[in-house]
Amino acid sequence: MKHSSRRYADPPFPRDLAGRDRPDPFFRGLERLLNGLQPVMARLGGAKYPDGGASGAGRELPMRVAAVDRPAEDVAALRLEPEDGSPVRPWQPGWHLDLVLSSGAVRQYSLCGDPADRAGYRIAVRRIPGGSGSGEVHALEPGARVAVRGPRNAFPFARADRYVFIAGGIGITPILPMAKAAARRGAPFRLVYTGRSRAALPFLDELPSSPSGTVEVRSDDADGVPGGAELLGAPEAGTAVYCCGPPPMIDAVRSALPDHPSLPFFWERFSPPPVRGGVPFEVELARSGRVLTVPADRSALDAVRDAVPDVAYSCRQGFCGTCRVPLLSGTDDTVALCVSRTDGGRLVVDL
Amino acid sequence: MTSDAPEDEPEHIVLHARDVEFDWTRMDLHWIPGDPFATHTINVLHLLLPEGERWFVKVFKEALPYIRDERLREDVLGFIGQEAMHAEAHAGVLDHMDAHGLDPSPYVSQIAWMFRRLLGDRGLTGAKAESWLMTRLALVSGIEHMTAVLGQWVLDAEALDRAGADPVMLDLLRWHGAEEVEHRAVAFDLFMHVDGDYRRRALAMVVSTGALFALWVRGVRFLMAADPVTKGRLKPRWRDILRTGRQGTTPNLWRLARSVPEYFKPRFHPSQVGSTAKAVAYLAVSPAARAAEH
Ligand SMILES: [Fe+2]
Ligand SMILES: [Fe+2]
Repeated sequence: MKHSSRRYADPPFPRDLAGRDRPDPFFRGLERLLNGLQPVMARLGGAKYPDGGASGAGRELPMRVAAVDRPAEDVAALRLEPEDGSPVRPWQPGWHLDLVLSSGAVRQYSLCGDPADRAGYRIAVRRIPGGSGSGEVHALEPGARVAVRGPRNAFPFARADRYVFIAGGIGITPILPMAKAAARRGAPFRLVYTGRSRAALPFLDELPSSPSGTVEVRSDDADGVPGGAELLGAPEAGTAVYCCGPPPMIDAVRSALPDHPSLPFFWERFSPPPVRGGVPFEVELARSGRVLTVPADRSALDAVRDAVPDVAYSCRQGFCGTCRVPLLSGTDDTVALCVSRTDGGRLVVDL
Repeated sequence: MTSDAPEDEPEHIVLHARDVEFDWTRMDLHWIPGDPFATHTINVLHLLLPEGERWFVKVFKEALPYIRDERLREDVLGFIGQEAMHAEAHAGVLDHMDAHGLDPSPYVSQIAWMFRRLLGDRGLTGAKAESWLMTRLALVSGIEHMTAVLGQWVLDAEALDRAGADPVMLDLLRWHGAEEVEHRAVAFDLFMHVDGDYRRRALAMVVSTGALFALWVRGVRFLMAADPVTKGRLKPRWRDILRTGRQGTTPNLWRLARSVPEYFKPRFHPSQVGSTAKAVAYLAVSPAARAAEH
């Protein structure tokens, strides 16, 4: 890129834009204004924290498992209620919460209860073979204590003329409150709910029945594995498509979307993919001399965040550049902490 | 955001940067066909935003240690990634202008000086540095009110489609506009969290809108004079902005002016203006945003 950040890294005082050989009078004026403003503002002081700090939504809320249900094979549905009996924070269809388990593991689960119920939340968790988080959730019994962060909205449910909802297996959890809301509103919708077998599909008895919408339940063992076009159907213009399920299903639906009309396509987005096939390595923070060990399944950013809580990052996939820091070892000038690893060697960074 | 938003206005959205790419090879210099004035009026964004949004990122990174609320910290981190992507996407358009014979660097280097020197850390330390950081957060918050208003405008500006504007440019503007609407509360919430001083907020708004307006006028003049096709023969006139504002191919000046006083209401909150529903609906159809999510 020609007009990159580097090109403008050391800008001179602005010259006249019209080509006259003199400093630009506009910026002379602006400089005078800012030179006057800064001391005036200095009199207003520094950080004051008028609300005292944390808003509450960022705080962990201690909750109690009030009931455990088994709505399908390998699925546990948990009702969570605040320990102190206070109402839960409000939410909308599509929102999820962070469940902080006693092992310290944090997992995200969609809320699948009724948004009008302020006494508690419901989540449903499928047991993943070898999955440590889901195993821990499945071991929870009524009365167990957990902590919850959020809830937050990573799957926005926005007003549309009509809807297609596509849920694969446990992907029903965010879709169920959406479909119920559409049915309550009388909005036209089509819900397609699919999975390996009917016995693996939770909440079949809760699917909305409404004159404004249709519900299709299908299972791979009886109907075969559906293609994207089958799941999508032939939605008209103005239809919003909501899809949650295993990644291959989402990809199949995405590639079946028509170019015309272009339909809004919403799908559940999970946290960044776990590190696979990495080896442990070290990061040295040059300013403090601290050496951090990065395990095979964590990123350098994860390790640095433990040591430097205010380190900046954003996309965690290596493209936004926020976590780039100067690299003092090796040949590159900078390194993106979120995706860079070594084959066991040490990264020395200017932190 | 506030709880009195309409039921279907999505709230508390988890902000994330989208790995967008734009291909400018097929776009004309005058991407609103036959209307260099409207084209360049919007093009001023490409001159201001790369350096402006890099500065947002820098200021917000400096503010991270001051944040005491985990949710706000997450919002700020999401905001930083989005603004970083905006800056580089607009910088790509500068290369396109340059390749078509319009060298933007005289103007952009002025903007770089303003953000990197005038609005940099000014070599301050201690209490003065902290106060100056609060002031810059107030400036960002004021500018973000205007970017949210402009973002909502471009999401609604069907006149641009009718005028045959380049679809890739429209996607860039609307992807950016939608993310501006999506994250419109973050800078305000951050300022209110750490400082919230009304005098600082109001004074910063006066300075930032005044400077923005002046820079915009200068930017249009610069681009019209440097345009290699019209070769400076077309002089921008005030009646042009009234004409294109009426047509809807540029923001309506009066409506923009009316959005400024809202910010001075003591009980103002960005969630009162703009539609998150419309923003997320656009992000769900945007070719660039959709290609970025795989
Ligand atoms: Fe932006
Ligand atoms: Fe912004």
